[in-house]
Amino acid sequence: MKKLMMKYFMVNCKEATFLMAKKEEGKLGLIDNMKLSVHTSMCSLCKKFEKQTTHIGNESRHVHAADNLPAIAKDKIEKILGEYSS
Amino acid sequence: MPLIMEKQANKANPQKWLELYGDLLYQYALPRVNDNVIAEDLVQDTFLSALKGLEGYKGEASEKNWLFTILKNKIIDFYRKKSTEQAVMTMPDLKRVDDEWFNEEGSWTENRMPKDWQAADNPVERKEIQKIINWCKDHLKALQQAVFTLKYMEDLDSDEICKVLKISSSNYWVLIHRARLQMRDCVEKYWLKN
Repeated sequence: MKKLMMKYFMVNCKEATFLMAKKEEGKLGLIDNMKLSVHTSMCSLCKKFEKQTTHIGNESRHVHAADNLPAIAKDKIEKILGEYSS
Repeated sequence: MPLIMEKQANKANPQKWLELYGDLLYQYALPRVNDNVIAEDLVQDTFLSALKGLEGYKGEASEKNWLFTILKNKIIDFYRKKSTEQAVMTMPDLKRVDDEWFNEEGSWTENRMPKDWQAADNPVERKEIQKIINWCKDHLKALQQAVFTLKYMEDLDSDEICKVLKISSSNYWVLIHRARLQMRDCVEKYWLKN
């Protein structure tokens, strides 16, 4: 019985990392949530994956280019804005 | 009374837009559309839409936030339009998609196992990892790149992204899974090189 329960609750790394994306959005049902928790509590690789992927997600929204708006584009926009407002 | 006075302080000043926000809007748009000409056009369109909508601007948000809201909508429109160009946004073969990452038992393959590394935690390191993220994102395939950008750079949820890109929910989860695997792998590779 215990073995059967374990088998039911076991997911592999491929499934676990798949479920993590859903968990991030709160879109994981109770059973899948349990399956994932069981897996990550035992799997250091998937634990690492989750932590690092969350970090990447958090930093992604702050990504900005270093370049300024090119001078040619500025001139063009200035002209268009000038035409529009006059 | 003083409260109302304060609220009126948020007044639009189009003459100053280009000088104050031109570079900021461009720096935001560029990594999100990955094309400098398109980014320039989006900044221009943002200013034009703002001018047209000037009467609707009640000063509730700051001028800067208001312009950024317009730009973000234009970025989403860009992806909406792009999603109809079939040739650019072809769906990859989703069945075989995770083969290189996991073996038949679904365990990590030897050369794809996540390694140990420290997260970026000071401004210099964060800038560095953001640069790496941007580089890695640019090297994702078109549809995965779109999904990653909308999810993690634009903070849309899966339902919104499915609508914008006209993909099914089950395809979305496979695409984002794949994008997350690839991004982590790529970022790790270049982060550890530093």
